[in-house]
Amino acid sequence: MKTKVTRRKFLAGSAGTIAGLSLAGTLPKRSFAHEEGEVIKIGFLGALTGDLAGWVLPGLYGVEIWVEQINAAGGVKVGGDWHQIEVISYDDEYLGAKAVTGAKKLVLEDEVKFLVMSFTTPVFAAQPFLTEQKMVSTTLTPSDMSPERPYLIAPVEQHPFYLVTGVEWIRRNRPDIKTVAFVTQNDELGMNSLATYAAAFEVAGIEIIEEKLFGFEITDFAPVVSAVLAAKPDMLCLDTAYPDYINLILEQAFLQGWQGPLIGASLDNYPAIIAKTSQEFLEGYIFHYPDFDDPRLQEPDINFTNAAEFYRVYTERHPGAWNAVSWEYAAILAMWKGAVEAADSAEPMDVFQAMKSTDAPHIFGPAAWWGTEVYGIDNAPVGKWPVVQMQSGKPVIVDMADMRPWLAEHQDVLMRHMKDRNVI
Amino acid sequence: MLELILQTCVNAIIATSFAAIFAVGLMLIFGVMQIINFAHGELYMAGAYTVWVVYAENNLPFFVAVLAAALVVIVIGLLMEVALFRPLRGNMLGGLIVSIGMLFILQVLAVHFFGEGLMKTILSPYRGAWEVFGLRGITVPYQRLIVLGVASGLLALFWVFLRRSRLGWALRACTQDPEAAALQGISINKFALIAMAISAGLAGVGGAVMAPLVVVDPHMGSSVIIMALIVVIVGGLGSLEGAVLAAIIYTFFHTFMTTFFDGVIANILGLVVMMLVLVIRPTGIMGTSEKS
Repeated sequence: MKTKVTRRKFLAGSAGTIAGLSLAGTLPKRSFAHEEGEVIKIGFLGALTGDLAGWVLPGLYGVEIWVEQINAAGGVKVGGDWHQIEVISYDDEYLGAKAVTGAKKLVLEDEVKFLVMSFTTPVFAAQPFLTEQKMVSTTLTPSDMSPERPYLIAPVEQHPFYLVTGVEWIRRNRPDIKTVAFVTQNDELGMNSLATYAAAFEVAGIEIIEEKLFGFEITDFAPVVSAVLAAKPDMLCLDTAYPDYINLILEQAFLQGWQGPLIGASLDNYPAIIAKTSQEFLEGYIFHYPDFDDPRLQEPDINFTNAAEFYRVYTERHPGAWNAVSWEYAAILAMWKGAVEAADSAEPMDVFQAMKSTDAPHIFGPAAWWGTEVYGIDNAPVGKWPVVQMQSGKPVIVDMADMRPWLAEHQDVLMRHMKDRNVI
Repeated sequence: MLELILQTCVNAIIATSFAAIFAVGLMLIFGVMQIINFAHGELYMAGAYTVWVVYAENNLPFFVAVLAAALVVIVIGLLMEVALFRPLRGNMLGGLIVSIGMLFILQVLAVHFFGEGLMKTILSPYRGAWEVFGLRGITVPYQRLIVLGVASGLLALFWVFLRRSRLGWALRACTQDPEAAALQGISINKFALIAMAISAGLAGVGGAVMAPLVVVDPHMGSSVIIMALIVVIVGGLGSLEGAVLAAIIYTFFHTFMTTFFDGVIANILGLVVMMLVLVIRPTGIMGTSEKS
């Protein structure tokens, strides 16, 4: 599935594209309707190697399984015909220049109809070209949205806004918690998350008494963990630290004697963390990414067909790889498939219109397109998101909370914290 | 506050021990071959992966895995010396280019054989932590004590080897002035191999003992090589004692800055300190001026 681009292949492709574009004006317009059996191509542009591969690669595994299952069931129905789906991937290595090259290759050479991407740097770099091409693309972080990127949507991931639901759960269920300390990486993801958590903690009446940020060059977590524990908080917040960092921060916190409650966006590869710490240490950890065999995800309001089977195949085929992103790209494609069938077309603009014309069938239930007040464009569906708690070594959904009431009531607080931290 | 200061001192001592063996290995290669081995971090990575294969995957004892890591990385180092560094000895630019090439080759090989994705989880053979001299709230994990013990032991052995053996004297001669050493009948080829074996062995053992404590992935060498370069520049290119002294200064400074301010600020100030040292003393703390 992974596509390698050689210089020769790229030059040949570019030459072919230029020749093709030159002839385009003299040829009849290509029909939007697909012939029977024609394959619909989708582009997957993300970091398949490098530091970010830890998140993106498991997402590609999920896409492969989802496509297999959909194709086995007949594919996508457009114009009365069934079409198989093919995913073409390109490794952008989380580099802007590579993302631009990959976007051009996938759109011009492979003629993909939809492009799923990771977030931030590569997304920003590729957007001018994708906007010019009117190609619909996706990001995992709504903060990437902008009026200058009208066809960039954040169809599944509601980060960082869902974080408020976890804090609200803490406020309702753990009134004894009055102070919190943060530890996270100092990047766009970490700071967006930190601003949202700060707003949610302020609303919940929980004081932030320490924030410890670190850079990507970090090799030793002992000093940062010593610093946050010395502040003696009631709770430790791991923000949206990257999975490998969470692993090492939690191990350090365990070894330095932390026994209090924990909260964070995710808890990837929790069996490995339990092995390094203990089941008791992680008991009660609040986060937001469930295992898909959770009974709540088998209920009819969930827009993801047979989540438990998807999880079973995934964990069997890729042991230890299940993480926060494993299902997200698959959920994006499930939403795309619904829009294709509603529009009766796979053409990007038709699908875009179909997606935006109604309330979004978000994976966790109905959601409203949102974002204008914060990002100037409403290209992110916001609705429910799970609050997950570690119980006896297994993540359990304890609430499927709607974040819209909180956002409606406390948007001013959120905006203030986001401006204070320069994330908007 | 006193508790935090003491805990930070403990953290810094452990970090220093690893930084010292890593930087001394890098320094040794520069001294004998005049090559800055940018792939030194990848030798450390190879050591960590060997532990993952031998200890985590095949359940052999941890110290067998550490020994295996040393041997595997020494073999890689010797191959690098014979195939890449020997033809370019004394050619700093050529050595720099081939070592960067080797860096990428080793990273790609790691991706090929072990894949990308989440870090390899390696459990420490000795879980838990020691409460330092019974002081409440000041702890050091047993795995970090292993790092301290192994690193200090290796540095002590290396010091005895350099000061008390004929081979060590000859190696010191090579690091101080390879041309003069060759004129005295010392085989630079032979001592380049010895230096490479020691340097790679230190990096391999460093990676092996650190493996349960750090992110084990194909790119793990990138961050430690930056630290090591700062240490050898501050210590003075060519000075092994300088590398150890600079490792102590830099890691204490960095650990305290990270604890009391911010990890990013610590990185920036670490580079500022390096620049200040170079402005005040261009040869580094214990480096000597080049011969005219």
